[in-house]
Amino acid sequence: MSDTLLLVDDEEGIRKFLGLLLRDMGYSVETAANGDEALSLIQAARPDIVLTDIKMPGMDGIELLRRIKAISPEIEVVMISGHGDMELAIQSLQLEAADFVTKPVNDEILAAALRRVSEKLAMKRQIRSYTENLEEMVREKSARVLELERELAATQVVDAVCRGMHSLGSESFPDGVLNNLPCLMAVHNRDLEVVTCNQLYLERVGDKVGRSSLEAYQAGPGADNPVRRTFETGRGQRGQAIFRDPAGNPLPMEVFTSPVSYREGQVELVLEMALDMSELTRLREELRVAQEKYQDLFEQTPCYIAVRDRDYRIVANNRRFAQDFGEGAGRFCYEAFKHRSAPCPDCSSIQTFEDGVSHPHETVVATRAGRKLHVLSWSAPIRDAKGQVVEVMEMSTDITQIRQLQDHLTSLGLMLGSMSHGVKGMLTALEGGVYRLESGLKRQDLGRIGDAAESVKQLTGRIKTLVLNVLYYAKSRALCQEEADVAEFCTQVAQVVQPKAERDKIVFSLDLGPDLGRFTADLANLSAALVNILENAIDACVADHAKPEHAISFAVRADNGAVQLHISDNGMGMDQETREKALTLFFSSKGLRGTGLGLFIAHDVVAKHGGSMSLESEPGQGTRFFIQLPRTLPAS
Amino acid sequence: MAKKILIVDDDASIRDYLTTLFEDNGYAARSAGSGADALKMLEQDAPDLITLDIEMPEMTGPWFSRTVAKGGTYDRIPVIVITGHAGLQYVIPKAVASLTKPFDQAELLRIVRETIGQ
Repeated sequence: MSDTLLLVDDEEGIRKFLGLLLRDMGYSVETAANGDEALSLIQAARPDIVLTDIKMPGMDGIELLRRIKAISPEIEVVMISGHGDMELAIQSLQLEAADFVTKPVNDEILAAALRRVSEKLAMKRQIRSYTENLEEMVREKSARVLELERELAATQVVDAVCRGMHSLGSESFPDGVLNNLPCLMAVHNRDLEVVTCNQLYLERVGDKVGRSSLEAYQAGPGADNPVRRTFETGRGQRGQAIFRDPAGNPLPMEVFTSPVSYREGQVELVLEMALDMSELTRLREELRVAQEKYQDLFEQTPCYIAVRDRDYRIVANNRRFAQDFGEGAGRFCYEAFKHRSAPCPDCSSIQTFEDGVSHPHETVVATRAGRKLHVLSWSAPIRDAKGQVVEVMEMSTDITQIRQLQDHLTSLGLMLGSMSHGVKGMLTALEGGVYRLESGLKRQDLGRIGDAAESVKQLTGRIKTLVLNVLYYAKSRALCQEEADVAEFCTQVAQVVQPKAERDKIVFSLDLGPDLGRFTADLANLSAALVNILENAIDACVADHAKPEHAISFAVRADNGAVQLHISDNGMGMDQETREKALTLFFSSKGLRGTGLGLFIAHDVVAKHGGSMSLESEPGQGTRFFIQLPRTLPAS
Repeated sequence: MAKKILIVDDDASIRDYLTTLFEDNGYAARSAGSGADALKMLEQDAPDLITLDIEMPEMTGPWFSRTVAKGGTYDRIPVIVITGHAGLQYVIPKAVASLTKPFDQAELLRIVRETIGQ
């Protein structure tokens, strides 16, 4: 290693002489005659040392020194200065020259100066080399540290995922969320090993932690596998796959994978979720059964059910509802249920929409056929996922029959109550009759005996009528159907009444029209009804003291479809109030001997036959009853 | 001289009954079928006792009683109420007694005896 040296002097003799000297010292030497030449040579082949004269024409040594330091500051420059150029020499030192020698050049001094420069150069080289080595080492070490840090980070991520899955899966978590999902979960690393898994995975597939990711799959290691594919493609997979349980049985699953990467482009972990198909199928089946049950309930309940929204539109209804009110979908509830054109003012569903509570409601509705029904409705709220009431279900039970029964019982009670006075009167009179009979027998008073007997007979007759009427009213009445000749039937009725009329000195006449034909009726009840009316006429005549003579006429006419009966008397008649009440339960004209129930029941019997009954009357003048009956009973 | 009883009831059978009963027991009995008839009979011949029904057409028992009371003359005649309506026993405050139909014969005769004697 010989340092290269460039000698710059404008004198050729010096160049030759110093050149030889320097070569002898062991340097390889180049020479230049001026600054410019020197600079070119420096560009071409960088010398280690430059030895330059200061005083030169053109570019002087100082200038050259500046230039060299500007372009290659590592080149050491030694100046040759003339005797007495001390200032220049010092200046050059300030400009980073390494040393200077004065002319005439002493070869030992020059050698020494150059030696010092060479040593300096050698030291610099060494330092450079050490520095480069050091930098190289640091780079290597840093890379290694980074590598280790990444590995640490990876381990920490895996640990965190494991802990997370564990805590989700463990009982300490409030709902054991992960365990309650019908979902197997596992985490796999790049070596296709199972890092961690959830409880369900453990149960269904077995403990695969630390083992090959592919063991869980029925198809085996060689086959296509969603976990491996995720690592290879870097993308999540979804599809069906068959797992195996610890016994080796196949478990069909729907598999979802998700890549987890924390280094660019590198999938470090794969999250695998498998949904048990059989679990899904089982849940679907449960849902289907529940839906069917609900549907059954909806249809089979013996109630009308209609579900309506806030705009009064029916969104669903059951079959029973459709039968009586028509299909509801899309119709307004008030139109379908009540044939109204506007919402009902007392709607209980509106209340339920507001307060979310069921409300009962009794109302009268009309079927498609126009039949009126009494219903009891309950409005139940139907909520959405947020708990808001979005629809109301109305369940209505037909209570028409119950109400009718109730009305019937009420009126029975009323009737019995209103009758009690009359009944008590009759019982007292009966007691009186018996007393008089006994006392007559004691006294052997035939007149009294006869009177009493007659009295008792009449009273028992009245009591009988009363009791039968009450029984008639109280029991369920299905009409018997019998066919009869109209004229014969009416004659029989007249025969019952005739003797009573005669006894009270009333002229009774039966007037049968032509071609009366035959008819079908409940003969027993109808005859009792007609007798009731006729007896009422007798009583009216008896109670009338204004006229000397009384007459009752019973006239019968018929045409194709119906039979008409007219019963008229010239008895005491009825004023307006009595007339209005005559056919109700509350008719009780106390002057008459009856209890008032007779006309009510007569009217009821006629109505059940599909017929009609009305009356006209003037107080003091008389009363006329009009009864119309169809030839056949109406279909029930 | 037999004590006189006036029977007021719109039911003829009951009038017959009470008449016979009272006559058999030594009283002289007359009957009226309405409040109006009863007033007439009061004027003709004042009785010693009146039996009175409550529910009668045209003039009820209480109305008859008030009419009698207003007149003043017959105010003193004792009244026994005989009615079929259990609740109406007390509508005549001055009644000696109130009986409901059907009444106990012995009871009625006892009260009559205690009120006007034999």
